[in-house]
Amino acid sequence: MQNNNPLSPHLQIYKWHISSLLSITHRVVGVINFFALMVICFWAISLFFGENFYRSFEIVLNTFFGKFLIISLCWTFSFQILNEIRHLVWDAGFGFDLKVAKISGVVTLIGSFILTILFYLVGRNFF
Amino acid sequence: MAQFSLPQNSKIEVGNYFKDKTNSKNLRKINVYRWDPSTGKNPRVDTFEVDMDNCGPKVLDILFKIKNEIDPSLTFRRSCAHGVCGSCAMNIDGINGLACIKSHSDTNGDLNIYPLPHLKVVKDLIGDLSTLYKQYESIQPWLKVDQTGQEKTELKQSQKDREKLDGYYECILCACCSTSCPSYWWNGEKYLGPAVLLQAYRWINDSRDGDKKERLKKVADELKLYRCHTIMNCTNSCPKGLNPAKAIGSIKKMLATS
Repeated sequence: MQNNNPLSPHLQIYKWHISSLLSITHRVVGVINFFALMVICFWAISLFFGENFYRSFEIVLNTFFGKFLIISLCWTFSFQILNEIRHLVWDAGFGFDLKVAKISGVVTLIGSFILTILFYLVGRNFF
Repeated sequence: MAQFSLPQNSKIEVGNYFKDKTNSKNLRKINVYRWDPSTGKNPRVDTFEVDMDNCGPKVLDILFKIKNEIDPSLTFRRSCAHGVCGSCAMNIDGINGLACIKSHSDTNGDLNIYPLPHLKVVKDLIGDLSTLYKQYESIQPWLKVDQTGQEKTELKQSQKDREKLDGYYECILCACCSTSCPSYWWNGEKYLGPAVLLQAYRWINDSRDGDKKERLKKVADELKLYRCHTIMNCTNSCPKGLNPAKAIGSIKKMLATS
């Protein structure tokens, strides 16, 4: 029997928690990283096509937009790594407590920014 | 692909405004989701001005006050009013909970009350939970033993084994957790959802049950179990303070290690 009753609202009304917010971010970031990895592979492959080809890649990456992109990708990878560790701990059966899950979420978020800055500084030969 | 927006017949319209007639100074606006199957119109949100000086402390008290004094056609489920039966589960200010044990003073500003999310609405605040009940039946929530009829011996359980059920047997199947889960919204037909999986774990974990392996095998399914991505909306919403996310995690771990 076809039920034509209306569907009660869901996404439209449900309050966000840190855990649900990080979960959707993890997924979005995962998709972004998938494409980012393809670009990185392509960059590496561009070496085979000679110096000019490789240099033109470098010019694009050295624009303001390119720098923004690279730093953003530093964050997406940092976040993905840290949140994946969180998932790994969950899979081992720990950290399901509501308080612990909240704290680990905040730590992941803050940690991802710290890691981004570290990546940046290491890349700039700061140390 | 999941549909993130509401279908055309479910779009919410602005409803009626019920002005206060008691001349009370302590008023609060209560926005309530309404849908009447007999009208054929889209659902709407009615706003009621409620005199909070003469109202009980819980959200259910507000609903009763509206029903008794302002609009008798307001429809909602309730039974025990003590957080034991799970009938009055609804979405209160964006989080699922039981209206009977949720204090309205916990929330600020206008109070928004909706039915449990992503269900077919029966009327007003009542959602259709028949899919969830069918899924509950599918996990066979009863003790299965190898005993034949003749040798009926008592099934003893040590205190330690009994303690393993703490945090799981208390579930009242109010469906707050399942209907808070985005995974269950998008795959409600196939994914069992936190409530049913918590129950599944309760039976898997029962030392008296003789069908543990079969139960695990049945639940080990890409869609039935592994649609859980540990979003944790379930644990955040459980009015009994249980942890469905942990139960699902435990099942996953059992499957990985067995």
